[in-house]
Amino acid sequence: MLKKQLILRDPLSFLGYETDETEKKGNFGAVTSRAGVGKTAFLVQIAISRLLKDKNVLHISIQDPVDKISLWYKEMFLNLTQKHDAKQSKQLWESLLTKRFIMTFETESFDFSKLITRVDELRNQGIFVPQLIILDGLSLDVTMQSELNRLKEYAVQNNFTIWFSVRTHRHQSDDPVTMLQQLGGQSNFLFNMIIQLLPHKDKIQVKRLPLTGEHNERPPLLIDPSTMMIKETTK
Amino acid sequence: MNTLMQKVRNIGISAHIDSGKTTLTERFLYLTKKIHRIHEVRGKDGVGATMDSMELEKERGITIASAATYCQWQNHEINIIDTPGHVDFTIEVERALRVLDGAILVLCSVGGVQSQSITVDQQMKRYQVPCIAFINKCDRSGADPFRVINELKEKLNHNAIAIQIPIGLEADLEGIIDLISMKAIYFDGEFGDIIRTEEIPDSLLEQALLKREELVDAASIFSDELTEAVIEETEIPDNLLIKAIRQGTIQRELTPVVMGSAYKNKGIQLVLDAANNFLPSPDEVDNEALDLDNNEESFHLTGKKEDPLVALAFKLEEGQFGQLTYIRVYQGELNKGDTCVNVRTGKKVKIGRIVRMHSDQMEDVEKIEAGYIGALFGVDCVSGDTFATSGLNISMTSMHIPEPVISLSIKAKDNASETSIAKALNRFTKEDPTFQTFVSNETGETIISGMGELHLEVYIERMRREYKAEIITGEPSVAYRETITCHTTFDYTHKKQTGGAGQYGRIAGFMEPVTDDFVFENKVTGGSIPTQYISSCEKGFVSCLAKGPWLEYPVTGVKIVINDGASHSVDSSEMAFQAAARGAFLQAYFKAQPVLHEPIMKVVIETPAEFQGNVMGSLNQRRGMIIGSNEVGQITAIEAQVPLSEMFGYSTTIRSMTQGKAQFSMEFFTYKQVPKSVLETIEKKNEKKTKTGT
Repeated sequence: MLKKQLILRDPLSFLGYETDETEKKGNFGAVTSRAGVGKTAFLVQIAISRLLKDKNVLHISIQDPVDKISLWYKEMFLNLTQKHDAKQSKQLWESLLTKRFIMTFETESFDFSKLITRVDELRNQGIFVPQLIILDGLSLDVTMQSELNRLKEYAVQNNFTIWFSVRTHRHQSDDPVTMLQQLGGQSNFLFNMIIQLLPHKDKIQVKRLPLTGEHNERPPLLIDPSTMMIKETTK
Repeated sequence: MNTLMQKVRNIGISAHIDSGKTTLTERFLYLTKKIHRIHEVRGKDGVGATMDSMELEKERGITIASAATYCQWQNHEINIIDTPGHVDFTIEVERALRVLDGAILVLCSVGGVQSQSITVDQQMKRYQVPCIAFINKCDRSGADPFRVINELKEKLNHNAIAIQIPIGLEADLEGIIDLISMKAIYFDGEFGDIIRTEEIPDSLLEQALLKREELVDAASIFSDELTEAVIEETEIPDNLLIKAIRQGTIQRELTPVVMGSAYKNKGIQLVLDAANNFLPSPDEVDNEALDLDNNEESFHLTGKKEDPLVALAFKLEEGQFGQLTYIRVYQGELNKGDTCVNVRTGKKVKIGRIVRMHSDQMEDVEKIEAGYIGALFGVDCVSGDTFATSGLNISMTSMHIPEPVISLSIKAKDNASETSIAKALNRFTKEDPTFQTFVSNETGETIISGMGELHLEVYIERMRREYKAEIITGEPSVAYRETITCHTTFDYTHKKQTGGAGQYGRIAGFMEPVTDDFVFENKVTGGSIPTQYISSCEKGFVSCLAKGPWLEYPVTGVKIVINDGASHSVDSSEMAFQAAARGAFLQAYFKAQPVLHEPIMKVVIETPAEFQGNVMGSLNQRRGMIIGSNEVGQITAIEAQVPLSEMFGYSTTIRSMTQGKAQFSMEFFTYKQVPKSVLETIEKKNEKKTKTGT
């Protein structure tokens, strides 16, 4: 019962994404914002919504330790369930933990081939088969074009989706879609879902950015920075 | 006693097992004329090395308890602690590092930087111990000291720099080229004690010049004078280079590397020279204590012998003359006949006999001054106690003591052994804080716990040998707990009329799950249960908790509320209400759907990245839930939650799985419900136990 209620609060469905988009193998999603706006918190909400649908989530963090990531999940789950029965919430939380795996790397020691090796190890030994990978804290740039294409291929072969956090900078005039467009190469747009977080008065606005040729009529969502939970839609 | 503090060195010798630490120490003692004959660790003469003083150590060829000794070399007094190499005895290494000012990291020129070297290095970092590295076994086939230096840089992040190069390697190892004096040194005589200095052979001159340039370059960062000499291309005096290397070493920013072969007696004198030249004297090390009168604020120790005494008991041993306490004096001096205070107990301690230890032989001295290590007789204390002048409420920083990870039940075969075991356990627990013992309330068995299977094995073996105790060891056991999962009511009447005074008591109420161990609430109104019997009701319920009605494990997490009842003016008694409570508990317990909980441990495994798949697989097989992995450099730390019952024998498994390169730590995390499949096995085991009566 609790699980069903929580599934209804999936941030991606609020933004109008359909299940076949969010769960399609090989699909890439990006949450973009400037530093400190709340990319990790939003990605953790996406991850929790997948966990609630019994999907296995591999959370990869570059730099942050395992404990810190665990704490993010716990905090976000508590915020999500604070109005529900504590005992039921605790049981649900424990069941979700078995479907989550956190992997952290140092910036300098991370590369995509290492990531593929690690995921292969987990899959081949039957330790963990990810259905969603969250890749948080990696600076994406055009030099990664071929590796990102390879990763996309690997995601298609192994049936999972990947959500990236993408940090933007004040000096960058390009909009995130154009910036992400460059990552795939000339005719190959790697990203299927792009979400932008923007500070808006005392809240944070969550915008679904339309891809080329896409029309998105939905108003942006607002999240409360104190809990990072979705508050209301702007009228 | 040499009172010049600058000429004192308190050093430890740490490394991976079998790197040759004990052999190296044995050579030190021989060369410094502390012993007159060399006995090999696994020598044919069967005597064993001098530092391996315990019978078991001699037999196994490993060092278990660290023996402290001192020697003199080139007008310097060197206190040496020989430390064990095995991972299960790291508390010894940690304790040694706590009291030492510098260390020699011994590495095998074939094996290189092994897992234990990584552990030891982490410990050195924790206690900020400067070190020099000695690459041993250069006579072995496959020896490559320069590969080991690279490993020191890559795996341990040391700014390692060779101050020597070998003349020949493997079977052709002839001597050493000293890059400071730029001389070739050969070690003649049966035990290499005759030093012959010659010019560098032409074939090695080019390599020597290149390596010296690298050395001067690395050292120049620590001396402006040296940098100037390099820029001006003037001749660099030996002492200027030594001074710069010393500066870098003491700051822990440079690790000078010496090399040789302890077994073949090559290069040992140069290791002693390096210890004198590069490792700090006690007054070059800042030592801090905790001011207990001032909210444990940090208290700087002066290291002056005129100041009030502060000393730390860092190791205890039971010798033939009673308890021997190894002590390091940090400030002031400890004289025979003095009275000081054991800060932990507040009791005055009279100092009787003071000795300087040389493995298991000793030499009586009158005093121990600040900066020195010695041993006391007849002082009642535990490891880690601080001794100070009366009125000074100062404690040395508490030592990091890892929690024990494995438990085992032991039983004496006969009465005589029981007394011996008690004596031995009393001694071992005082000597070694990681070895703990208690009597289980649940099973009545004596449980010993420690840092690993070998750790416990060694103590059991020592009880057998040193105390002649006959011991039966049990299977490692887990403390399961029963608990209830739902709210349920009870209404029970205890009634007995069997002649004489009858028994009558009725109790009604409910039980429900709670997070505390046990909660009892009285909500009886109108005196349906007279006040004087309420405590009997509670007693009755409590008596049911020790042994659960279902699987006979302790019951926790139960709240009992009584809200009604009845009594009889003649037949009711304390006994009757206790019995009624027991009946009520049984009536409600099974309706409350009891479950079994097991202890879950937080396990952290540090393994070279290439083994992480296997390690994760092994945790999976053991019902472990992997929380995550953290890859730093070559090492991956895997964090998991694993039931304790699945962790027995894991240290052996992980060692063989990772070629001994991984290590794990384990601590209690929480209690969680036992899965159904495992519960069935436990139930079957219990049934069997009940049937056989064991």
